[in-house]
Amino acid sequence: MPRITVDGEIIEVPDGRTILQALDDVGLLMNGVDIPHYCWHPKLSIDGSCRLCQVEVEGIPKLQIACNTSVQEGMAIRTDTERVRKAREGVMELLLVNHPLDCPICDQAGECKLQDYAYEYGVEASRTREPRRALKKNVDLGSTIKFDQERCILCRRCVRFCSEIPGTGELRVFNRGDASVIDVHPDFPLENDYSMNVADICPVGALTTQDFRFKIRVWFLEDAPGICTGCSNGCNVHIGVANNKVYRYVPRRNDDVNDTWICDSGRMSYKQIGGGARLKEAGVRGEAGRLENTGYEAAVREAAKRLRSMIEEHGADSVVVLASAHATNEDLFTLRRLSDGLGAGADGVAVVQGKSDALLIKADKAANAAGARALGFGPAGPVLDRIRDGRAKAAIVLGHDLLDESHLGGTEALEGLDLLIVLDVQQSALHKVADVVIPVRHAAEKYGTLTNHAGRVQRVEPAVEPAWEAWSDGEVLTLMGQALGLEGFEDGYDPAKISEWMSERVSAFAGVHLRVVGDQGRPLPGERA
Amino acid sequence: MVISDETRSKIDAEIGNFPQRRGALLPALHLVHKDHGYVSTDVAKELAEIFEINPIDVMEVVSFYNLFYDRPQPRHHAHVCTNLPCSLRGARSLLRRLESHFGVRAGEATPDGKLVLGHEECLGACAYAPMMRVDDTYFEDLDFEKAKTILDGLE
Amino acid sequence: MLKVPYVTGYLSEHFGDDGFGTLSGYEARGGYRGLRQALDTSPEDLIELLKSSGLQGRGGAGFSAGMKWSFMPTDSDRPKYLVCNADESEPGSFKDRILLERAPHQIVEGILIAAWATGAEKTFIYIRGEYAFPADQVDRAVAEARERGYLGAKVMGKDFAHEIVVTRGAGAYICGEETGLLESLEGKKGLPRKKPPFPAQYGAFGMPTTVNNVETFSHVPHIVCKGADWFRGFGTEKSPGTTLFGVSGQVQRPGLFELPLGTPLDEIIFEHAAGLLEDRPVKGVIPGGMSMPILPANQLDVPMANEFLRERKTMLGTGGIMVMDDTTCMVRVACVISYFFRDESCGQCTQCREGTGWMNSIVERIERGAGEQSDLDILLDVAGKMEGQTICAFSDAAAWPIQGLLRHFREDFEAHIRGKKCPFPGSFEL
Repeated sequence: MPRITVDGEIIEVPDGRTILQALDDVGLLMNGVDIPHYCWHPKLSIDGSCRLCQVEVEGIPKLQIACNTSVQEGMAIRTDTERVRKAREGVMELLLVNHPLDCPICDQAGECKLQDYAYEYGVEASRTREPRRALKKNVDLGSTIKFDQERCILCRRCVRFCSEIPGTGELRVFNRGDASVIDVHPDFPLENDYSMNVADICPVGALTTQDFRFKIRVWFLEDAPGICTGCSNGCNVHIGVANNKVYRYVPRRNDDVNDTWICDSGRMSYKQIGGGARLKEAGVRGEAGRLENTGYEAAVREAAKRLRSMIEEHGADSVVVLASAHATNEDLFTLRRLSDGLGAGADGVAVVQGKSDALLIKADKAANAAGARALGFGPAGPVLDRIRDGRAKAAIVLGHDLLDESHLGGTEALEGLDLLIVLDVQQSALHKVADVVIPVRHAAEKYGTLTNHAGRVQRVEPAVEPAWEAWSDGEVLTLMGQALGLEGFEDGYDPAKISEWMSERVSAFAGVHLRVVGDQGRPLPGERA
Repeated sequence: MVISDETRSKIDAEIGNFPQRRGALLPALHLVHKDHGYVSTDVAKELAEIFEINPIDVMEVVSFYNLFYDRPQPRHHAHVCTNLPCSLRGARSLLRRLESHFGVRAGEATPDGKLVLGHEECLGACAYAPMMRVDDTYFEDLDFEKAKTILDGLE
Repeated sequence: MLKVPYVTGYLSEHFGDDGFGTLSGYEARGGYRGLRQALDTSPEDLIELLKSSGLQGRGGAGFSAGMKWSFMPTDSDRPKYLVCNADESEPGSFKDRILLERAPHQIVEGILIAAWATGAEKTFIYIRGEYAFPADQVDRAVAEARERGYLGAKVMGKDFAHEIVVTRGAGAYICGEETGLLESLEGKKGLPRKKPPFPAQYGAFGMPTTVNNVETFSHVPHIVCKGADWFRGFGTEKSPGTTLFGVSGQVQRPGLFELPLGTPLDEIIFEHAAGLLEDRPVKGVIPGGMSMPILPANQLDVPMANEFLRERKTMLGTGGIMVMDDTTCMVRVACVISYFFRDESCGQCTQCREGTGWMNSIVERIERGAGEQSDLDILLDVAGKMEGQTICAFSDAAAWPIQGLLRHFREDFEAHIRGKKCPFPGSFEL
């Protein structure tokens, strides 16, 4: 590990890296060592063209770009001299020569690197008297992204992204000199599974997502750390919240999971949190055959009561339990204990399968399929068989993934059950046949952990509060356990404690629980290579 | 197919000259310009197939170079060099007179589609100024009468 | 039209002979003797010979050719390439074009000697797209050389294989920058590459590559035949040899002149180029192609070699001398120059992409009579910001001429600003 001196401080950095890469590796870039940059991005190839990251390197007369200068033992760099500052000012002034300066109506305002650095390094008043470039504004590059060519500073991050990450290469720089513009081929719009990432990496307001633009000024948003629940990759996200409403997901960097990216469908999955399809009322099927709102806790107690009578009548092995791969490890550990405590006839987990790729998108379309499996929930098949052949009289079902074509394909088979208890985040056809439905919280509304496809346990925490009564699955199941008089439910449901208990009880989770996984997650012991 | 078999085989021969296929892209673009005068969307798609790249890669290259065009061109390009050595020798006055002779501004095509009159940067004929390039041919030591005769004589 | 230098030297003495462009004509005048001799010399000795000759690259930067060859790795079995940079586009320069047209075999011979010295298996001659006729001459020469066995699996019967591929640019000045050229050669836009890596490690198609200018290669056979000392008999101690000066602008006899480096500028203008039209006085001279800062009339005594030109804050560049008489408006000159660089910037680096355009807009506004005194400070400030901070030297080349014009002809700019119009009605038309 070479040691370099940065502004007089000696730092040990990885070998074979450039100055920016090395500082990023050790977590100091823009976090102790400020070297502003536009074209450089930690997950893209080095471009070296914006020239903003110039630093002084001892022994080299010209300023060097930190993005492309390799670190060497004993190298001494300065980022804070008058020469460096002047160079940055020069770049900033020139970048602003043709920029429209339309910040008041620009959606990037507030999270714009041009604004930020111009404030820090800009000249106070524009010295240009020349007309600015008039280019395309408000054009659709594809179905997800709007483009304002005038705001573009030609850092070409988006161009490199499309070529290097999804590999689709829709964007290119046309023409040359100050006529250079980024554009798509008219016959091949920007359409790939990751297209919206270009808006995140665009340092200015040139690329914005159709979905988020003009929804809200970003300074009204608060960021909560979260995990995307669209598939089992568990991409880390910043959940953008204002007034208890989720406005967007943007990827949160995690080099072990998603680098700085997220797929478009995962990004859009934030809509499930506040969407109209949420299940908001608990219900118990009454004499008239209709679901009646008896109050939340009453519904949970009623579920437990009906379950007890079913067990008394048909025996515990007439009960089947179906886990949801959307629930947290803590929810599912509680379900595991409930299932075992009851002595249920079978349990398993229904996971919907879908498209996958080599980048981020995984076939398991749920965030915690691996966690469910690690907690002993096997394939849904044996559970569904018991439902179909009538051995099962009662079922506790979390979520509605069993309705997928790959499982039941509908509610018909469920009609034979005497008791169907459903805990769900969303409304579904299950509610037509369920005897008790209980709304539960989305992963963005509760504490817990999720285990991704690679066995990495990652933390979730509440970013918003549901505007209706909803508990986490674990809390509901705990009350049911208490009502059924089962052991181990006496202390209630505290996700942190449950998590720690799980890490003690379940060997797959040994040593890994909510309090220790941090904001970057931690692999299960079996996954540590 | 828009690109002819004959041109395709010439492109194949060019590809053989380069350690990587794409090296022959500029030669191939010169060849298709000889046939078509510009790179249409279809030509770009076919070139992209030949070179195993995206059509946009072809169009991006086309946009960078002065001699490549992405839309149909008049039959001839008549470009007067207006860089400093030629300007010092009256190139811009020559261009102005040619503009009024043909009734077009530099950069515009004549209405009959015969030629586009343009100005161009240094063409390496500085001692023989003023000069113009008509397609692939240089005409040097020009005055207005000479230039007019040359251009009027074009098919 | 036949174009031969008015003053010839070893490079150009046969340019007037019909047939010098053919293989037989070239050999009849001593051609390919250098190659024969080189193939009996070890590559190491050839590189030493080149180094001791002091031959400087003639493409503009003036770097030692022998040093450049010595950077090619000798311990690698990756294929190695040479590139002959025939993308001559520097305004004021036309020497390479005449070399290509009149003496293609001299270039081919120089290339083959360099190939033997550096172990290169292939050479790409990259000729600017507009040079259709010169390219035809080179194509023909290469075909002749191949037929004669000077190219192919056994060059001159020796255990040495070499192939030459002639290829064409398509109209982009930046492809004359060696790494822009390499990108273009690979079928891409000619965006100069960031360095490191340098072409000797990672050049054409990722392989070790040496890029030399047309004229540089042309000197090589003569140095091999006649030796380093002979070569050093021309020119100055630091800048040996002759070069092809191209003189253009308002002189009586514009053309090429092969003269030793170090020949005084006034000798070239007033003796060889026969002075100015109508015997008007000189106002300014650009000594080395448009990228090089202008010299005023009182500095024409400068010997044309970098060690002297640098003292006058300019450089030899490509030896393209542009002479302007006393009617010339230097703001118009600035307009022409800055437009060129605006048009030809590749657009990668911020300073160059935005600075070239800004400078051009300002000088055009000054020429229109709408300039302000503060514009001059802005021009110098922008030029300063463009200097020494970009991927390639284009940005510097765009800044220097404007700095030069303001250094020596600030009064022209100020007169425009004061009078709110161009005070040089007799100047060349813009």
